[in-house]
Amino acid sequence: MKLRFHWMMPKGGEVGMKTAQETSRVATTKASSPAALPDMEGWTRFARCAEDAGIESVLLSFSRYEPDTILVACAVGQVTTKLGFIVAYRLGLMQPATFVQQINTLSGLIDGHVSLNIVAGSSTVEQRGYGDFLDHDERYARAEEFLTVCRAFWSNNGEVNFTGKYCHVEKGKIFTPFQAATSTPLQAATSTTSVFAPSDTSEHSQRRRAGPEIYVSGHPEHSQRHRAGPEVYVSGHPEHSQRHRAGPEIYVSGHSEQAQHLALTQGSCWLRLIDTPENLSATVSHFRSNGVEVCLRLCVVCRPTHEEALAAAHALLPSEEIAREERGILSRSDSKTLKDALAAADSVGWMNRNLWAGLVPYYGSSAITLVGTPPDLAAAFLEYKKIGVTQFIIAGWPKLDEMMIFGHDVLPLIRAAEEQQEQ
Amino acid sequence: MGLRFHWMLPKGGEVRLDGRQTALEAARYRIESMSTSSAAPKPDLRGWTHFARTAEDAGIESVLISFSRYEPDPFLVSCALGQAVKKLKFIIAYRSGLMQPATFVQQMNTVSALVQGRVAFNIVAGSSSEEQRGYGDFLSHDERYARAEEFLAVCNAFWRGEEEVNFAGRHYRVEQGRLATPFVATDQTRPEIYVSGHSERSEALAYSQGTCWLRVAEAPEKLAPIVARARERGVGVCLRLCLLCRPSREEAIEVAESLLPVDRDESTTTLKDDSQMYREGNSVKPGDTAASDACWLNRSLWTGLVPHYGPVWTTLLGSPREIADALIEYGRIGVTEFIISGWPETETVALFGREVLPLVRLREATD
Repeated sequence: MKLRFHWMMPKGGEVGMKTAQETSRVATTKASSPAALPDMEGWTRFARCAEDAGIESVLLSFSRYEPDTILVACAVGQVTTKLGFIVAYRLGLMQPATFVQQINTLSGLIDGHVSLNIVAGSSTVEQRGYGDFLDHDERYARAEEFLTVCRAFWSNNGEVNFTGKYCHVEKGKIFTPFQAATSTPLQAATSTTSVFAPSDTSEHSQRRRAGPEIYVSGHPEHSQRHRAGPEVYVSGHPEHSQRHRAGPEIYVSGHSEQAQHLALTQGSCWLRLIDTPENLSATVSHFRSNGVEVCLRLCVVCRPTHEEALAAAHALLPSEEIAREERGILSRSDSKTLKDALAAADSVGWMNRNLWAGLVPYYGSSAITLVGTPPDLAAAFLEYKKIGVTQFIIAGWPKLDEMMIFGHDVLPLIRAAEEQQEQ
Repeated sequence: MGLRFHWMLPKGGEVRLDGRQTALEAARYRIESMSTSSAAPKPDLRGWTHFARTAEDAGIESVLISFSRYEPDPFLVSCALGQAVKKLKFIIAYRSGLMQPATFVQQMNTVSALVQGRVAFNIVAGSSSEEQRGYGDFLSHDERYARAEEFLAVCNAFWRGEEEVNFAGRHYRVEQGRLATPFVATDQTRPEIYVSGHSERSEALAYSQGTCWLRVAEAPEKLAPIVARARERGVGVCLRLCLLCRPSREEAIEVAESLLPVDRDESTTTLKDDSQMYREGNSVKPGDTAASDACWLNRSLWTGLVPHYGPVWTTLLGSPREIADALIEYGRIGVTEFIISGWPETETVALFGREVLPLVRLREATD
């Protein structure tokens, strides 16, 4: 199995921006920011470059400061052929049946190149602006129910009945099916990814794309045990449904216990911030042994020499003003992920020779950065592979340039090493 | 201002690119689009693009994209189709109760920016309680309207550009709501809002929150006072109708005859238990032939299919001149817009643009 690499989609207007400082969250959440508007020209350029660079998917982030992710994926997907879209969405914003109808429609419009990143929501203020008044733990309890209902829709052709604390569905039926990808050259190269061609009837691929057995590998019986919560009554014809009613891959992000539990019960992959391999090793094994993949979110700065990489990384440090505002966002959040990241930045700075948390106070929790030469970075990624990590979602400054460097200088080294290992 | 003409977007798989489809075949496809074997639930960008270009060429302003569990989501359909055609607008039908109003506004605003402002909104309260429950909505007809009122009040607050939206209602609550993505259009800051339905509640909702009241065509005499009332309140009136146009009235009636179901008891409206409009439709009794008196509201308004498939199958029938006359007559009583359907849709919209619309525009210019 080969490592899977995804990239963060730039915000509106970002592809044309020259400096890292302009792209900081502090700048892009200002009322005047172009991030509020779709940027089809910039996104089309970026998406095509991503396809050329060997990137499998782009992650579209969700917030009130940005256009809706499901619709952006739909529009950009009209101009790309193989790029995948990991659509981030918060729960509590729509009925699960409506969400399934939208995702299924999207899958039919972009040849199945869609997966989900479920986010419980990291800001209470922002959630209330959407009409969601639950607290952190309740949001996760609701997410559990929400995804149970979604997966019931995806796993069968019959009716969905569900009575929970947050979701209630009676004789639910969504006629538009989820269309799985028919062609994903990047994924086809790997043995445990989620290719499901209509002609492919092997038991393996069917298991992997049908709702309740969405787990990527391992022990579905075991994982099912984790599935707490209300009963789901599912009727219909399983043979038929497995062929035609598969669901998307589900990335669950978050560091809290509730997020981890949700990833184990409802997800196909746990998405978390990068940490050192030693710190991650035990957790990753735990997820893998439960049939759930692990995907790391990180940034990269790659230059021909270590000194150049360090200089480029330090050049990203922004103004004091941005620093103050970003620290405010991080410390006010009720998300464990954000708090962990700020703590790492404050206490260590360099987490090992290549992993730097120095940008977190300025660019947010996802700015933990791998810094180094192409061979340094390739070695680092392979080190994560050794402990069981399978996927990465990367960003850089600027996103497009750093992605091209990665595709050109780093990825070939990784693929060569992987091929050697496989022989 | 001239009359505005919109068209129904055909269902997935309905458009035949070779144009070889009889009126009956096209109508049957529509009637059977709710069966599990239909291709209607699947997006059909090729067929839709073909239809949309034909509609643009015919002088049609917008297409209505309907909402139900039997079809793809209309937000996404308009987003994708809007990348392929550059003039046509999209009227997105959506029910309240399916998502938070802030999320709805974020989606509507995003679509507006992705299709250069060519979107409008048709709010539907929902006509089937079984279908609503499948979406997680357990309110009654009147409660759904009360909720729709709140839903649109919140949406309109966002669209008015209030810095922060605060709302505490029975069905929705929003605190410090802010959305960065604006509604993007050259000439407006919010979408036009079509409120459809025949009940008093829908009429009141159209006045309080909408820009246009959408209802099924009836005889002009019967509509005149209703239309006048709505226009007085500053709201437009849009009529939904089907079109059956042939060189002569006799030929059109012959086609109508062919559309009557073999099974005279056939009905696709049994689930529509919770709608004033469908209750009215049920009071129309089936006629034995297309020509029988029971099937006509006046000389050109035929209801032969209504008992079987519902009020939206009310059909304006005749020669191009007769149809143009009827549309002009509606214009005289204050109707401002129409949303039309025909069998097959593509051929009918082309025919409308070629034979009927020029007559309408000519009469408008000379009257």
